[in-house]
Amino acid sequence: MAVASKTWKALGTSVHVLATDPQQLRAAEMAVREVLDDVDAAYSRFRADSELSRLNARGGRTVNVSPLLATAISTALTAASATHGVVDPTIGRAIRIAGYDDDFARIAGDRGPIALRAATVPGWQVVRVDSAAKTVHLPEGVELDLGSTGKALAADLAAHAAHTAMKSGGVLVSLGGDIAVAGDSPEGGWRVLVAEDSAVPPDSDGQVICVGSGGVATSSTTVRRWTRGGTVLHHIIDPKTGLPSSGPWRTVTVVARTCVDANIAATAAIVQGEAAVAWLQARHLPARLVENDGTIHYIGPWPDPDRVAA
Amino acid sequence: MKSFTATDRDRGLRRLRRLTFGAVTGATVAVFGMTYVAAASYAGKASTASTTALSTSGSTATTTSSSPSTDQSATTSATAAPTATTGSSGSGTVTSGGS
Repeated sequence: MAVASKTWKALGTSVHVLATDPQQLRAAEMAVREVLDDVDAAYSRFRADSELSRLNARGGRTVNVSPLLATAISTALTAASATHGVVDPTIGRAIRIAGYDDDFARIAGDRGPIALRAATVPGWQVVRVDSAAKTVHLPEGVELDLGSTGKALAADLAAHAAHTAMKSGGVLVSLGGDIAVAGDSPEGGWRVLVAEDSAVPPDSDGQVICVGSGGVATSSTTVRRWTRGGTVLHHIIDPKTGLPSSGPWRTVTVVARTCVDANIAATAAIVQGEAAVAWLQARHLPARLVENDGTIHYIGPWPDPDRVAA
Repeated sequence: MKSFTATDRDRGLRRLRRLTFGAVTGATVAVFGMTYVAAASYAGKASTASTTALSTSGSTATTTSSSPSTDQSATTSATAAPTATTGSSGSGTVTSGGS
Protein backbone atom coordinates (compact mmCIF):
# COMPACT_ATOMS: atom_id res chain seq x y z
CA MET A 1 0.00 0.00 0.00
CA ALA A 2 1.44 3.38 -0.95
CA VAL A 3 1.80 5.76 1.96
CA ALA A 4 1.63 9.50 1.40
CA SER A 5 3.70 11.81 3.57
CA LYS A 6 4.20 15.46 4.41
CA THR A 7 7.13 16.97 6.32
CA TRP A 8 7.66 20.38 7.86
CA LYS A 9 9.19 22.09 10.91
CA ALA A 10 7.29 22.98 14.08
CA LEU A 11 7.93 23.09 17.82
CA GLY A 12 11.64 23.38 17.03
CA THR A 13 11.74 19.96 15.40
CA SER A 14 10.72 18.00 12.33
CA VAL A 15 7.13 16.94 11.81
CA HIS A 16 6.26 13.96 9.62
CA VAL A 17 2.68 13.00 8.83
CA LEU A 18 2.01 9.78 6.93
CA ALA A 19 -1.40 8.64 5.71
CA THR A 20 -2.38 5.27 4.31
CA ASP A 21 -4.94 6.97 2.07
CA PRO A 22 -3.09 9.62 0.03
CA GLN A 23 -6.33 11.49 -0.55
CA GLN A 24 -6.65 12.04 3.18
CA LEU A 25 -3.16 13.43 3.69
CA ARG A 26 -4.23 17.06 3.38
CA ALA A 27 -6.95 16.66 6.01
CA ALA A 28 -4.49 14.93 8.31
CA GLU A 29 -1.88 17.63 7.79
CA MET A 30 -4.31 20.44 8.57
CA ALA A 31 -5.48 18.71 11.75
CA VAL A 32 -1.91 18.17 12.91
CA ARG A 33 -0.93 21.77 12.18
CA GLU A 34 -3.85 23.01 14.25
CA VAL A 35 -2.95 20.84 17.23
CA LEU A 36 0.71 21.89 17.06
CA ASP A 37 -0.27 25.57 16.94
CA ASP A 38 -2.32 25.05 20.07
CA VAL A 39 0.51 23.15 21.76
CA ASP A 40 3.04 25.86 20.92
CA ALA A 41 0.82 28.55 22.39
CA ALA A 42 0.01 26.49 25.47
CA TYR A 43 3.26 25.01 26.68
CA SER A 44 6.31 26.16 24.77
CA ARG A 45 8.98 27.01 27.34
CA PHE A 46 10.70 29.31 24.87
CA ARG A 47 7.81 31.62 24.04
CA ALA A 48 7.41 34.42 26.54
CA ASP A 49 3.73 34.62 25.64
CA SER A 50 2.96 30.93 26.07
CA GLU A 51 0.64 29.93 28.87
CA LEU A 52 3.42 27.87 30.46
CA SER A 53 5.84 30.82 30.50
CA ARG A 54 3.18 32.98 32.13
CA LEU A 55 2.46 30.25 34.67
CA ASN A 56 6.16 29.80 35.49
CA ALA A 57 6.43 33.55 36.08
CA ARG A 58 3.55 33.52 38.57
CA GLY A 59 4.86 31.31 41.35
CA GLY A 60 2.89 31.62 44.54
CA ARG A 61 -0.37 32.44 42.77
CA THR A 62 -3.23 30.39 41.43
CA VAL A 63 -3.46 30.72 37.66
CA ASN A 64 -6.24 29.85 35.24
CA VAL A 65 -5.06 27.58 32.46
CA SER A 66 -6.55 26.30 29.22
CA PRO A 67 -7.85 22.73 28.95
CA LEU A 68 -4.80 21.86 26.86
CA LEU A 69 -2.27 23.11 29.40
CA ALA A 70 -4.25 21.48 32.20
CA THR A 71 -4.08 18.19 30.30
CA ALA A 72 -0.35 18.59 29.63
CA ILE A 73 0.44 19.35 33.27
CA SER A 74 -1.78 16.54 34.53
CA THR A 75 -0.05 14.14 32.16
CA ALA A 76 3.35 15.27 33.42
CA LEU A 77 2.25 14.81 37.02
CA THR A 78 0.88 11.36 36.28
CA ALA A 79 4.20 10.47 34.68
CA ALA A 80 5.97 11.64 37.82
CA SER A 81 3.66 9.56 39.98
CA ALA A 82 4.04 6.45 37.81
CA THR A 83 7.83 6.74 37.89
CA HIS A 84 8.05 7.76 41.55
CA GLY A 85 9.52 11.10 40.55
CA VAL A 86 12.14 9.82 38.15
CA VAL A 87 10.44 11.86 35.43
CA ASP A 88 9.47 15.13 37.13
CA PRO A 89 8.18 18.35 35.54
CA THR A 90 9.57 20.56 38.31
CA ILE A 91 13.01 20.43 36.68
CA GLY A 92 12.21 23.70 34.89
CA ARG A 93 14.58 25.88 36.91
CA ALA A 94 17.33 23.23 36.91
CA ILE A 95 17.33 22.83 33.15
CA ARG A 96 17.29 26.59 32.68
CA ILE A 97 20.28 27.04 35.01
CA ALA A 98 22.07 24.24 33.15
CA GLY A 99 21.93 26.45 30.08
CA TYR A 100 18.86 25.24 28.22
CA ASP A 101 17.10 28.56 28.48
CA ASP A 102 16.20 29.29 24.88
CA ASP A 103 15.24 27.57 21.67
CA PHE A 104 17.87 24.89 21.21
CA ALA A 105 19.22 26.36 17.98
CA ARG A 106 20.29 29.44 19.95
CA ILE A 107 22.09 27.71 22.84
CA ALA A 108 24.24 25.20 21.01
CA GLY A 109 27.47 27.21 21.07
CA ASP A 110 29.86 27.38 24.04
CA ARG A 111 29.02 30.49 26.05
CA GLY A 112 31.63 29.94 28.70
CA PRO A 113 31.51 28.25 32.09
CA ILE A 114 28.48 28.18 34.35
CA ALA A 115 28.22 27.24 38.01
CA LEU A 116 26.14 24.13 38.62
CA ARG A 117 25.29 22.82 42.05
CA ALA A 118 23.60 19.53 42.78
CA ALA A 119 20.22 20.05 44.40
CA THR A 120 17.08 17.95 44.36
CA VAL A 121 14.30 19.59 42.35
CA PRO A 122 11.21 20.78 44.26
CA GLY A 123 9.25 17.67 43.29
CA TRP A 124 6.01 17.14 41.41
CA GLN A 125 4.00 16.92 44.66
CA VAL A 126 4.25 20.69 45.14
CA VAL A 127 2.19 21.37 42.01
CA ARG A 128 -1.49 21.83 42.73
CA VAL A 129 -3.93 21.29 39.88
CA ASP A 130 -7.66 21.84 40.19
CA SER A 131 -8.98 19.95 37.18
CA ALA A 132 -12.54 21.16 37.65
CA ALA A 133 -11.64 24.82 38.02
CA LYS A 134 -8.80 24.53 35.48
CA THR A 135 -6.33 26.24 37.77
CA VAL A 136 -2.72 25.50 38.64
CA HIS A 137 -0.70 26.73 41.59
CA LEU A 138 3.09 26.60 41.65
CA PRO A 139 5.00 27.58 44.78
CA GLU A 140 7.27 30.57 44.32
CA GLY A 141 10.50 29.61 42.57
CA VAL A 142 9.09 26.44 41.02
CA GLU A 143 9.19 26.25 37.24
CA LEU A 144 7.71 23.49 35.08
CA ASP A 145 9.33 21.89 32.07
CA LEU A 146 7.07 19.53 30.15
CA GLY A 147 9.80 18.25 27.87
CA SER A 148 9.54 14.64 29.02
CA THR A 149 5.87 14.34 28.12
CA GLY A 150 4.81 17.41 26.14
CA LYS A 151 6.07 16.51 22.69
CA ALA A 152 4.85 12.95 23.00
CA LEU A 153 1.46 14.14 24.18
CA ALA A 154 1.36 16.44 21.18
CA ALA A 155 2.07 13.46 18.92
CA ASP A 156 -0.75 11.46 20.50
CA LEU A 157 -3.18 14.38 20.23
CA ALA A 158 -2.17 15.16 16.68
CA ALA A 159 -2.54 11.55 15.56
CA HIS A 160 -6.03 11.34 17.05
CA ALA A 161 -7.02 14.69 15.58
CA ALA A 162 -5.73 13.68 12.17
CA HIS A 163 -7.51 10.35 12.28
CA THR A 164 -10.71 12.10 13.25
CA ALA A 165 -10.36 14.50 10.34
CA MET A 166 -9.70 11.74 7.82
CA LYS A 167 -12.50 9.93 6.08
CA SER A 168 -10.56 6.71 5.71
CA GLY A 169 -7.30 4.99 6.52
CA GLY A 170 -4.75 5.49 9.21
CA VAL A 171 -2.14 8.05 10.13
CA LEU A 172 1.31 8.27 11.68
CA VAL A 173 2.58 11.45 13.28
CA SER A 174 6.24 11.88 14.16
CA LEU A 175 7.44 14.89 16.15
CA GLY A 176 11.20 14.78 16.27
CA GLY A 177 11.18 11.01 16.40
CA ASP A 178 8.35 10.68 18.93
CA ILE A 179 5.79 8.67 17.00
CA ALA A 180 2.06 8.10 17.46
CA VAL A 181 -0.25 6.19 15.14
CA ALA A 182 -4.02 6.03 14.84
CA GLY A 183 -6.41 4.09 12.67
CA ASP A 184 -5.48 1.43 10.18
CA SER A 185 -1.81 0.74 9.60
CA PRO A 186 -0.18 -0.30 6.35
CA GLU A 187 0.13 -4.04 5.81
CA GLY A 188 2.68 -5.34 8.31
CA GLY A 189 2.56 -2.15 10.35
CA TRP A 190 4.15 1.28 10.25
CA ARG A 191 7.87 1.04 9.58
CA VAL A 192 10.17 2.82 11.99
CA LEU A 193 13.95 3.02 11.71
CA VAL A 194 15.42 3.00 15.20
CA ALA A 195 18.34 5.39 15.52
CA GLU A 196 19.99 7.64 18.06
CA ASP A 197 19.21 10.81 16.12
CA SER A 198 15.82 11.47 14.59
CA ALA A 199 17.58 13.36 11.80
CA VAL A 200 19.01 10.09 10.45
CA PRO A 201 17.43 9.47 7.03
CA PRO A 202 14.89 6.63 7.24
CA ASP A 203 16.60 4.68 4.47
CA SER A 204 19.86 4.49 6.45
CA ASP A 205 21.31 1.28 7.81
CA GLY A 206 19.81 0.15 11.09
CA GLN A 207 16.99 -1.86 12.55
CA VAL A 208 13.52 -1.22 11.18
CA ILE A 209 10.62 -2.24 13.39
CA CYS A 210 6.94 -2.37 12.52
CA VAL A 211 4.19 -1.19 14.84
CA GLY A 212 0.47 -1.40 14.25
CA SER A 213 -0.76 0.77 17.08
CA GLY A 214 0.39 2.88 20.00
CA GLY A 215 3.59 4.87 20.01
CA VAL A 216 7.35 4.76 19.77
CA ALA A 217 9.68 7.21 21.48
CA THR A 218 13.40 7.62 21.83
CA SER A 219 15.20 9.60 24.49
CA SER A 220 18.86 10.32 24.01
CA THR A 221 21.64 12.28 25.63
CA THR A 222 23.54 12.41 22.35
CA VAL A 223 21.52 14.90 20.34
CA ARG A 224 20.27 17.84 22.39
CA ARG A 225 23.65 18.73 23.88
CA TRP A 226 25.43 21.98 24.48
CA THR A 227 28.77 23.07 25.91
CA ARG A 228 29.51 25.48 28.71
CA GLY A 229 33.12 26.14 29.63
CA GLY A 230 34.18 22.98 27.86
CA THR A 231 31.68 20.81 29.74
CA VAL A 232 29.14 18.97 27.62
CA LEU A 233 25.61 19.10 29.00
CA HIS A 234 22.33 17.58 27.85
CA HIS A 235 18.62 18.00 28.43
CA ILE A 236 17.71 14.91 30.45
CA ILE A 237 17.80 16.08 34.05
CA ASP A 238 18.01 13.75 37.05
CA PRO A 239 15.49 15.17 39.54
CA LYS A 240 17.59 13.90 42.46
CA THR A 241 20.52 16.13 41.53
CA GLY A 242 19.02 18.73 39.25
CA LEU A 243 21.89 18.01 36.88
CA PRO A 244 22.07 16.23 33.51
CA SER A 245 21.81 12.50 34.14
CA SER A 246 25.01 10.50 34.06
CA GLY A 247 23.88 6.89 33.84
CA PRO A 248 25.07 4.08 31.59
CA TRP A 249 22.51 4.60 28.81
CA ARG A 250 22.93 7.25 26.14
CA THR A 251 19.83 6.34 24.12
CA VAL A 252 16.66 4.41 24.93
CA THR A 253 13.79 3.57 22.57
CA VAL A 254 10.48 2.17 23.85
CA VAL A 255 7.31 0.90 22.18
CA ALA A 256 4.17 1.42 24.25
CA ARG A 257 0.43 1.86 24.13
CA THR A 258 0.79 5.60 23.55
CA CYS A 259 3.63 7.87 22.58
CA VAL A 260 3.39 9.51 26.01
CA ASP A 261 3.91 6.17 27.69
CA ALA A 262 6.83 5.37 25.43
CA ASN A 263 8.50 8.68 26.12
CA ILE A 264 7.97 8.48 29.87
CA ALA A 265 9.53 5.02 29.90
CA ALA A 266 12.44 6.01 27.65
CA THR A 267 13.31 9.06 29.73
CA ALA A 268 12.83 7.19 33.00
CA ALA A 269 15.18 4.48 31.77
CA ILE A 270 17.97 6.95 31.06
CA VAL A 271 17.59 8.58 34.46
CA GLN A 272 17.30 5.28 36.36
CA GLY A 273 20.46 3.82 34.88
CA GLU A 274 21.03 0.12 35.50
CA ALA A 275 17.77 -0.22 37.44
CA ALA A 276 15.90 0.53 34.24
CA VAL A 277 16.34 -3.01 32.93
CA ALA A 278 14.23 -4.61 35.68
CA TRP A 279 11.82 -1.66 35.63
CA LEU A 280 11.15 -2.06 31.90
CA GLN A 281 10.91 -5.84 32.14
CA ALA A 282 8.34 -5.61 34.92
CA ARG A 283 6.17 -3.50 32.63
CA HIS A 284 6.57 -5.75 29.58
CA LEU A 285 7.71 -2.80 27.52
CA PRO A 286 9.74 -3.56 24.40
CA ALA A 287 12.86 -1.44 24.72
CA ARG A 288 16.23 -0.91 23.10
CA LEU A 289 18.97 0.54 25.31
CA VAL A 290 22.28 1.84 24.01
CA GLU A 291 25.15 2.03 26.48
CA ASN A 292 27.55 4.94 26.44
CA ASP A 293 30.10 2.70 24.69
CA GLY A 294 27.60 1.78 21.97
CA THR A 295 26.64 -1.67 23.25
CA ILE A 296 22.97 -2.34 22.54
CA HIS A 297 20.61 -4.23 24.86
CA TYR A 298 17.12 -5.44 23.93
CA ILE A 299 14.52 -5.68 26.68
CA GLY A 300 11.22 -7.53 26.73
CA PRO A 301 9.47 -8.35 23.47
CA TRP A 302 11.70 -6.22 21.28
CA PRO A 303 12.03 -7.66 17.76
CA ASP A 304 15.12 -9.73 17.06
CA PRO A 305 17.57 -7.34 15.38
CA ASP A 306 19.23 -10.21 13.51
CA ARG A 307 16.06 -11.34 11.83
CA VAL A 308 15.62 -10.23 8.26
CA ALA A 309 12.07 -9.36 7.38
CA ALA A 310 10.43 -11.46 4.72
CA MET B 1 -2.93 37.61 36.94
CA LYS B 2 -2.75 38.85 33.36
CA SER B 3 -6.10 39.25 31.66
CA PHE B 4 -6.74 37.25 28.55
CA THR B 5 -6.93 39.31 25.39
CA ALA B 6 -9.83 39.01 23.00
CA THR B 7 -7.62 36.92 20.75
CA ASP B 8 -6.78 34.63 23.64
CA ARG B 9 -10.44 34.25 24.49
CA ASP B 10 -11.42 33.52 20.90
CA ARG B 11 -8.68 31.00 20.62
CA GLY B 12 -9.70 29.34 23.85
CA LEU B 13 -13.33 29.19 22.87
CA ARG B 14 -12.47 27.77 19.49
CA ARG B 15 -10.32 25.17 21.15
CA LEU B 16 -13.04 24.29 23.61
CA ARG B 17 -15.56 23.86 20.85
CA ARG B 18 -13.28 21.71 18.80
CA LEU B 19 -11.58 19.62 21.40
CA THR B 20 -12.71 17.78 24.41
CA PHE B 21 -9.74 16.82 26.39
CA GLY B 22 -10.24 13.91 28.65
CA ALA B 23 -9.19 14.48 32.18
CA VAL B 24 -6.62 12.29 33.75
CA THR B 25 -8.62 9.35 34.88
CA GLY B 26 -6.67 8.76 38.01
CA ALA B 27 -7.80 5.17 38.06
CA THR B 28 -5.51 3.30 40.34
CA VAL B 29 -4.23 -0.16 39.83
CA ALA B 30 -4.38 -1.58 43.30
CA VAL B 31 -1.44 -3.92 43.01
CA PHE B 32 1.14 -1.30 42.22
CA GLY B 33 -0.68 1.85 43.20
CA MET B 34 0.13 3.50 39.92
CA THR B 35 -2.26 5.52 37.88
CA TYR B 36 -3.48 5.47 34.36
CA VAL B 37 -2.06 8.18 32.15
CA ALA B 38 -4.50 10.56 30.58
CA ALA B 39 -5.48 10.30 27.02
CA ALA B 40 -7.09 13.08 25.16
CA SER B 41 -10.18 12.54 23.11
CA TYR B 42 -11.62 14.74 20.51
CA ALA B 43 -15.22 15.78 20.38
CA GLY B 44 -17.42 13.07 18.97
CA LYS B 45 -14.76 10.42 19.10
CA ALA B 46 -14.02 8.28 22.06
CA SER B 47 -10.46 7.92 23.09
CA THR B 48 -8.97 4.61 22.16
CA ALA B 49 -5.66 4.95 23.92
CA SER B 50 -6.51 5.71 27.46
CA THR B 51 -4.39 3.33 29.45
CA THR B 52 -0.74 2.93 29.88
CA ALA B 53 1.48 -0.07 30.00
CA LEU B 54 3.44 1.85 32.61
CA SER B 55 0.58 1.45 34.99
CA THR B 56 -0.50 -2.08 34.34
CA SER B 57 0.61 -5.05 36.31
CA GLY B 58 2.19 -8.06 34.74
CA SER B 59 -1.10 -9.85 34.93
CA THR B 60 -2.86 -7.35 32.71
CA ALA B 61 -0.04 -6.64 30.32
CA THR B 62 -0.53 -9.90 28.52
CA THR B 63 2.15 -9.84 25.92
CA THR B 64 2.76 -13.51 25.60
CA SER B 65 6.47 -13.66 25.07
CA SER B 66 9.30 -12.12 27.01
CA SER B 67 11.80 -13.01 24.35
CA PRO B 68 12.33 -10.98 21.22
CA SER B 69 9.43 -11.37 18.84
CA THR B 70 10.02 -11.63 15.17
CA ASP B 71 6.71 -12.99 14.05
CA GLN B 72 5.13 -10.60 11.58
CA SER B 73 1.77 -12.12 12.37
CA ALA B 74 2.15 -11.81 16.11
CA THR B 75 -1.01 -10.55 17.68
CA THR B 76 -1.78 -9.00 20.99
CA SER B 77 -4.83 -9.09 23.12
CA ALA B 78 -6.88 -6.00 23.76
CA THR B 79 -5.05 -5.41 27.00
CA ALA B 80 -1.55 -6.06 25.77
CA ALA B 81 1.01 -3.41 25.07
CA PRO B 82 1.55 -2.96 21.36
CA THR B 83 4.15 -5.25 19.94
CA ALA B 84 6.79 -4.43 17.41
CA THR B 85 8.04 -6.73 14.69
CA THR B 86 11.00 -6.70 12.38
CA GLY B 87 10.51 -4.77 9.18
CA SER B 88 12.46 -3.59 6.20
CA SER B 89 13.21 -0.08 5.11
CA GLY B 90 11.26 1.38 2.24
CA SER B 91 8.92 4.17 1.35
CA GLY B 92 6.86 5.29 4.29
CA THR B 93 9.57 4.62 6.84
CA VAL B 94 10.18 7.19 9.56
CA THR B 95 13.00 7.50 12.07
CA SER B 96 12.65 7.34 15.83
CA GLY B 97 15.64 8.91 17.50
CA GLY B 98 16.65 11.62 19.86
CA SER B 99 15.88 15.20 18.96
